[in-house]
Amino acid sequence: MHVLIINGSPRVKQFSNTDKILAKFTEGMCENGTTFEQYEVSDRKQWDDIRKAYYANSNILIALPLYVECIPGLLMEFLETLSPKNDGTRIAYILQSGFAEGVQLRCGEAYLEKLTGYLGCEYAGTLVKGDNFSIRFFEGAQQDRVTGPYTEMGREYAANAGFDTDKCRAFTGFEVMPAHLRLILKVVFRTVGRVMFKKIAVGWGCTKPLDYRPYQ
Amino acid sequence: MVLIVNTTSDTSITDRIKEQAAAKGLEPDVVEAASLKISHCIGCNFCWMKTPGECSIKDDYEIILKKVIHADQLWVISDTALGFLDHKGKNIYDRILPIATMYLKFKGDQMRHVLRYDRKTDIGIIYRGEPDKEYLERWNIRATLNFDSKSLGVFSFDEVKEAVSCMC
Repeated sequence: MHVLIINGSPRVKQFSNTDKILAKFTEGMCENGTTFEQYEVSDRKQWDDIRKAYYANSNILIALPLYVECIPGLLMEFLETLSPKNDGTRIAYILQSGFAEGVQLRCGEAYLEKLTGYLGCEYAGTLVKGDNFSIRFFEGAQQDRVTGPYTEMGREYAANAGFDTDKCRAFTGFEVMPAHLRLILKVVFRTVGRVMFKKIAVGWGCTKPLDYRPYQ
Repeated sequence: MVLIVNTTSDTSITDRIKEQAAAKGLEPDVVEAASLKISHCIGCNFCWMKTPGECSIKDDYEIILKKVIHADQLWVISDTALGFLDHKGKNIYDRILPIATMYLKFKGDQMRHVLRYDRKTDIGIIYRGEPDKEYLERWNIRATLNFDSKSLGVFSFDEVKEAVSCMC
C-alpha cells in the first residue's frame, strides 16, 4: 500500500506537533512494506504538488490539529481547491488536540466524516487523541512518551487500511476525565500549572503576565 | 454592543441587517472583512505564551479583536464550502484565540482555557450557500463553549429577519 499523507497543520513543519506525531506513526506504518509521501499544507508552495498527489492516490491520510472544534482555516482553504473524486479513494484522519479528553474532539471528528463525502471519497475512520499540547515543549525521551504510542497506531493503520478497529478507538483514552482526576487537576491548574506555564513563557521571551489585557 | 463581521463580498446583506436592526433601535458595528487583509491562524501560540493577548500576525484582524472584547454579540457572516463555513469565516473564529489565556480550568466536566477579559461574547452565524446546517448549529454551540458564551443560532441569508430578532 502507498499512502499520501497530508499534514494539515498550519504550523510550520519545524514546530508542528502533528509532524512529530506523523514521524512516529509512519515508523509503525512502514514496518511491513507500506510506503508514503508526505506534504505540508503550511507550505503553500507545496499546494500544487498536494493536489496532484490527491488525484493520483487512492489511500489518503490527513493529519490535523483541532482548531476551534473543527479543521483549521488554512486546511479548509486548501480543501476548497479540490474537486470530488468519486473513484473509491479512501481517506483516513489523525485528529489531535491539546485538550486531553476525547469528548473535545468528537464534533471535529463528525465533520471529517462529512468532509469525506463532500470530497467524493470513502471514510476510513479517524484516530482521535488529545493531550498533545506539550509535544512542542518536550524533546528526546519526554517527547517520545507522548508521540511514541502513535507507532503502534501506524501498524494498525497499515494492517487495516484505516482506523475502524477497537484498538484505534481505545487509543483515544477517556471521553471525560474521572471526577477524582478533575479534582486534582483543578488544584494543579491553579498552582503548579501556572508556575510551569509562566516558566515556559519566560523562556519564549515573554515579559508580561500571561493574563495580561493589552486592549483594555 | 452588536458586532457584525461580514466575510462575504455581498455588502447588501449588512445593509439589510442594519435596516432591520434600526427598526429595533439597534445600531450594530459592522466590519466589512472581505476588503480587509485577514490571514489564517498559524498556531504559533504567541498570543498565549510570548505576547499575551496579542496576535503575532500583524494584519487587519486586530481591528476585529479590539471590537470583540467589547461586544455582547458577534455575528459572523460567511460563505460556505464543503458543508461548513468557508475558510474566511473559519479564520474569524480561529483568530479569536487571544481572548483566552494559556491558563486552564474545568467548566463542568471538560477542560477550558481561562478567558482574558470579563465580557462574554455570544456568537451567531449568518451564512450564504448550502452548508450542513444541523452540523453548523452543533459546531457553533461547541465553539462558543470555548469563549464561555452561547450560540445565537445559525441563519441563512434568507433568514436575516430571524437573526436580527436575536440581536439585542
